[in-house]
Formats: sequence, C-alpha cells, structure tokens
Amino acid sequence: MLTHLVSTAVGGGSSTDVLALANMPLLWICAAGVFAVIAVQSVIYMKAARKAAPAAGITQEELKVSFRSGAIAAIGPSLAVALVAVALLAVFGTPAVLVRIGLIGSAAYETGAASIAIGTTGAELGGPGYTQNAFAIAFFAMSLGGAMWMLATLILTPLMKRGGNKLAKTSPVAMAIVPTAALLGAFVSLSIAEVPKSLVHLVALLTAAAVMGLCAVIGRSPKRAWLREWSLGFAIVVALAVAYVVHTAGMPAA
Amino acid sequence: MSSPVVASIPESAAAGGLAEFDRTTSRWGRLTMLAGLLVSLAGPLYLVFFADLDVTAGQLWTAFGAVAAVFMMIWLVEPITYFPILGPAAMYQAFMIGNISSKLLPSALVAQNRIDAKPGTPRGDFAAVAAICGAAALHLLSLAVFVGLLGTWLISIIPVDVIDVVRLYILPSVLGAVVVQAIISVKQPRITAVAVAISLLVQFVLVPLVPATAFLATGIAVMATIALSWLVRDRTPQPAVEH
Repeated sequence: MLTHLVSTAVGGGSSTDVLALANMPLLWICAAGVFAVIAVQSVIYMKAARKAAPAAGITQEELKVSFRSGAIAAIGPSLAVALVAVALLAVFGTPAVLVRIGLIGSAAYETGAASIAIGTTGAELGGPGYTQNAFAIAFFAMSLGGAMWMLATLILTPLMKRGGNKLAKTSPVAMAIVPTAALLGAFVSLSIAEVPKSLVHLVALLTAAAVMGLCAVIGRSPKRAWLREWSLGFAIVVALAVAYVVHTAGMPAA
Repeated sequence: MSSPVVASIPESAAAGGLAEFDRTTSRWGRLTMLAGLLVSLAGPLYLVFFADLDVTAGQLWTAFGAVAAVFMMIWLVEPITYFPILGPAAMYQAFMIGNISSKLLPSALVAQNRIDAKPGTPRGDFAAVAAICGAAALHLLSLAVFVGLLGTWLISIIPVDVIDVVRLYILPSVLGAVVVQAIISVKQPRITAVAVAISLLVQFVLVPLVPATAFLATGIAVMATIALSWLVRDRTPQPAVEH
C-alpha cells in the first residue's frame, strides 16, 4: 500500500527499472504472436507453392532444395542478428528485441528510431533519464514506424503488381531486364556504400567477395554442389574473422 | 517482339495454376501481414494506454513525428526498390520477417543459383518464396533459442569486442559475398557493368555532393540501373528463340 502511494506520488512511469516493464508477460505473448503469424504465413506459402509447382516449371524436389538452401544461407545472417539482438537485451528487454530487432525491422533501423524517439523526451537510450515512461514512448514510436513499413507494402504492392502485369503484356523484354537490373543495382550499390565507411569495412567486403568467388569456382562441379549452399556462411565467418583481426590491430574503425 | 518467356509457358493449365498461386498468396499474404502489423502494435499500445505510465498523447506524437521525419521516405522507397526483385508474393513475407538485404535476398539468390533458376521467371519466384520460407523457419528457431531462451546467459559469456565487431562489420561481410553471387548467377555482364558504373556515380559523386540523398542512394541506383540497362540492351534478335 505504501509503495503504491509512493510510486504514484513520484508519478507513474518515472521508475528506471525499465526491464521489469519490458519483460512483462503480455509483451512476451505479443512477441510469440508475431512468431506464430510468420510461421502460419510460411506454411500457407509453401503449400501454395507446392500445389502450383508444375505450372511454374519447378519440381517438388527443387522446391525442397530451395527451402533448404534458403535456410542454410540464412544461418550466418541469422546468427549475426541474434548476436546483435542479445547485445540489446539490456536496453529493450527480450520481447521488444525479438519483435523489433529480430523480426520486422533491423538493428540499425530500430535502434536509430528508438534513440530518435527517446531524444524527444530529453533522455538518452540506457542513460539516467531512461525511465519506464521513456521506454514506452520509444517502443511505441519504433513499433508504429515498423507498422508504416508494412502499411506501405500493403498499399504499394497491389499497385506495382498492376504496373508489372501491364509491363509484362506490352514489353516482355523489359520484364527480363527489370528484375536482373534491380537485383544488381541494389547489391552493387549497397556494397559500394560500405567502401567509404572505413578500411576495415573495405577489408571485410573484399574478403567475403574473395571467399565467395573461390567457393563458386570450387563448387562448379556437381559433386560439390553442397558448397553453393554453405558458401555464404563460410564467406561471412571468414570475413568477420579477418575484420576482427584488423579491427583489434587498431586500424581506423567506423 | 515475341517473347521466349511467354512462349515457353505451355498450356492454359499452367497459367491457371500460377493464377491460383497468385490469388492464394496475395489474399493470405495480405491477411497475415495485417495480422502481424496489429499484433506488433498491441504490446506498445497496451503499455501506453493501460500500464499507468503517464504517457501523454503529445509525447507520443512528438516521438513518432521525429521518427517519421527521418524514415518516412525509406518506408516508401524500400518497397518500391525491392518489388522488382522479390515479386508480389514474397513482398508480404519480406517486409514482415525483416533484414531483407542482409538475409532474405541472399537466401533467395542462393536458392535460385542452386537450382539454376533466373530471377523474375516463375521458377525463380517460386525458388525465392521457398527460400524465404526456409530462411524464416531457421531465423525463428535461432531467435527463439539464442535470444529468447539463452539470451541473458549468452550476454554474460560473449566478449564485448566480438559483439562489437559483428555489429560493425556484418553488413560488408554479407554484401561482399552476395554481390559476387549475384554477378555470377545472373550472368549478365552488360547489366553488371551498368550497375557498377551507376553505383560508383551515386555513392561517390551524387551522395557527397547532395548528402540529403544518402538514404535514397539504393533506390536511385536501382531505378537508374533499370533505366540505363533498358537503353543499352542487346538489340540483336533474342538468342533464346532458337529452341
């Protein structure tokens, strides 16, 4: 009773015990809900793909291989996300980290959004003014921001689909060029954007590229096709190891 | 302008099968994404309205306004940037699962490369959808185990500098590998050259000159690569017609 009076006298939400709030059961349930939605969606998609496979000129075996390749290729990136997420547990608590950092957004976007949102309260992420109240505001702002991404996808996808269908009818050659050009444009541009960040970024980029190139050459023989699935993981591990050595050797960081 | 792609799709049965896949994925893709959107908002809304934290509406809108000012263009640009690569079905997966350029696109590319499917073809789209399902399954598992279950223990045993290095350099480590994979698997030297030239121009000329365009850089590079690749396309009769 007394503690209740004291806490209201101080003002609800001014406690800095953010983790007590951030790890409450209801938030865990919501996080589990997002996991469940993604799992259900994957099951529906795989079923639909299996059913329509003959029409797409893909065999059931190739679908299975694609599923497995996708899973293996995701091991490296997924563990990296998990590691970054673990590092942020102390700031956001487990449920918010699982949904915001692990799924939907990315570590870079979500921590950016959270620190911008906290900044408007005059506090700093994890700083002395980081109260339960500030956490709730940051969590709300980053979640609504993530929702905007999905909203944009929900609105724009049907519109772009209509445009794509029209393009496919009027100019099939364009349909052959557009996805390839978009893919190369995106990855080449994202990679080159890493170059000016620091020497270590450049070293990591080049190491990963070299390992991948090597795996591609060795994996050309059908006997070593498994290498094509694992090559991304190898490349990431080797590049990070080299980056670790160069970084700790005192090269200029970001 | 008879297209080898259209000609190679055999019967109306195939078109029907693809149309049904399209109907199923656009209906359920949208529904599940809407569900994900609502569930992900439920937690923070509960805290704000029922947890007695004295959060005012003014504070919320100020915070969201600040976030929107920085990210609003990205919300619009990212779906437009990735649509031509992902196709409509995978869009509803990718923007809910997250980490698109560092995890989902690489997975899709590895799978397409593995079964020799070209991006943008029905085979390529199906391989991408299956690969994203595989990546999602693995990712949910790894998050549940390493973050949900073991997270607080792991944080106590992993050295801080290891976490720092991974956080700092994971993006170049993934991208360096993926860009090589992309160039090898699409086998389009002309478009590759266009992409490299445009990206160099955008990253080293446009962005330094107009720093405000930095967040648009990828989108600009994608649109310009598409446009220029179209202009300089090989206009000799399509060799694929031979079969």
